[in-house]
Amino acid sequence: MSAVTAAAPRAVRGAPARRGVTLARVLAAEWTKLTSLRSTAWLAFGTVAATAATAYGLGLFVRAEDGRSGTGVVTSGSVLAQVGFLVLGVLVGTAEHSTGTARTTFTAVPRRLPVLAGQALVTAAAALGTAGAALGASVLATSGVRSSVPLALDLHDPGTVRALAGFLLLHTGVALLGVGLGSLLRRPADALVTGMLLVVVLDPLLATNPGRVTDTLRALLPGAGGRLVQDDAALAALDAATHGPQLGTWGGGVVLAGWVVVALAAAAYRLRRHDL
Amino acid sequence: MIEVEALTKRYGRTTAVDGLTFAARPGTVTGFLGPNGAGKSTTMRVVVGLERPTSGRATVDGLPYAELAAPLHAVGVMLDARSVHPGRSAYRHLRALAQTHGIGRARVREVLELTGLESAAGRRAGTFSLGMGQRLGIAGALLGDPGTLILDEPVNGLDPDGVLWIRRLVRELAAEGRTVLLSSHLMHELALCADRVVIIGRGRLLADASVAEIVARSERAGTVRVRTSEPEPLLRALLERGAHVTPQEPGVLQVRGATVGDVGAAARRCGVTVLELSTEAGSLEDAYLRLTADAVEYRTSDAAGAPAGGAR
Repeated sequence: MSAVTAAAPRAVRGAPARRGVTLARVLAAEWTKLTSLRSTAWLAFGTVAATAATAYGLGLFVRAEDGRSGTGVVTSGSVLAQVGFLVLGVLVGTAEHSTGTARTTFTAVPRRLPVLAGQALVTAAAALGTAGAALGASVLATSGVRSSVPLALDLHDPGTVRALAGFLLLHTGVALLGVGLGSLLRRPADALVTGMLLVVVLDPLLATNPGRVTDTLRALLPGAGGRLVQDDAALAALDAATHGPQLGTWGGGVVLAGWVVVALAAAAYRLRRHDL
Repeated sequence: MIEVEALTKRYGRTTAVDGLTFAARPGTVTGFLGPNGAGKSTTMRVVVGLERPTSGRATVDGLPYAELAAPLHAVGVMLDARSVHPGRSAYRHLRALAQTHGIGRARVREVLELTGLESAAGRRAGTFSLGMGQRLGIAGALLGDPGTLILDEPVNGLDPDGVLWIRRLVRELAAEGRTVLLSSHLMHELALCADRVVIIGRGRLLADASVAEIVARSERAGTVRVRTSEPEPLLRALLERGAHVTPQEPGVLQVRGATVGDVGAAARRCGVTVLELSTEAGSLEDAYLRLTADAVEYRTSDAAGAPAGGAR
């Protein structure tokens, strides 16, 4: 029961010069966390497969007289794909809180915000990679129908390139919105339902009753980000039909980015200000 | 070194911790005791920065936890064995934790070996038993080779081997000059490995003293137990001497206010045969129950003159 009061010098094995927590280190840790879950790989694989399968399936019904473009056929799996990217983001954002890992993570990084930044960055990287794979798979899956109709996919056409790049941006944005909502709401079910409403459900629901109010709401919802994958002709048609603000080429992407910023900022505020 | 000063934490109208002050010093194992809901876990969560105090402060090595540049090297924390993603392997969990501080793979393998988890390192944490989860939590706490350890119920769910291991580990860590704060419901366990004990009830400090001092406050401490074939004459003789005698099981008397010598002499005078005669040591458990009972009921009509709740 006797106490040794002398503070013995301690040698740290396997530790580098003590600089402690840095953003780069937190980023590496978050990448390990993301890639060490089997669910991440399954989700990415499932999203790619579902996106390409949808594009292939919808492509079967395309006829030359529809006036569809090659881009439209390739990106037709986009709506379903959004669900996968949203789930990816929500899982990253909520995992800490739903599993109790938060106790470990935030005692290691008590400043907390580097963790959120790390989560956002690794999710963006994973989403970008997955979206690229989904796009590639969709191009392959629709090559048959595009050559038989035929529908051109001209990579020298700026509109086509923009829409394909928009596919990557849209899904990265949706995944980041998922991270923000997940970290803010902390429960997977809450975050997923909110995200689904905002991104997937409300837009077509409001579209059933076009008018100035509903069209303005649609332009302000993150679902407007769906415009990123539309080709120039489709965007012009959307802007011509709307009773609300005309978002033009990038407007929908800006609205989605705004939602991402607001959701992540709100999550950061809750994380920084409140108890875990 | 952990210092908690006038710490208060309220959740709405509930006060979980109420003006708590204590310190856990280097080279010492400090036991942290209290009934369920006394505020132990809340206090530990405030110390490691997971929750903000309503007022007062908690510091580690003189700094608020959130201001530590390298928290893992300063404080090893295990609050709950279920602080791991069930889908992640033990190795990857520790690896991610280590990466936040740039700690290498070698140290991760070292703590896995130290906690006896090397053969389970690749298994998902969700498949772990409670005891293995505890070992993983302790591995995480040791990762940064910290000068202070905060362990909430570390022996929970461990097999006898594991309990012995923890007991030796915390003694060794303290002997190396580290600060160890350890909560447990197992009094017996704490009596064996803690130097000091901090007891709280309803968020308030009830006692902060060495284990020996606390045990001395136990009601049984210093009483004499005597077993005899004929308790009646001895009982009368002792009462005449002014001792306080409580008959217990048949033939056994508990005597307060007399030494074993007094009782032996009294037995000889009245000619009864003594079968057993000893001084009771008292136990941490007794002392603890007594202190916390006072806290729960505020005031008891006990005439034994024990220190009241809230004594330092």
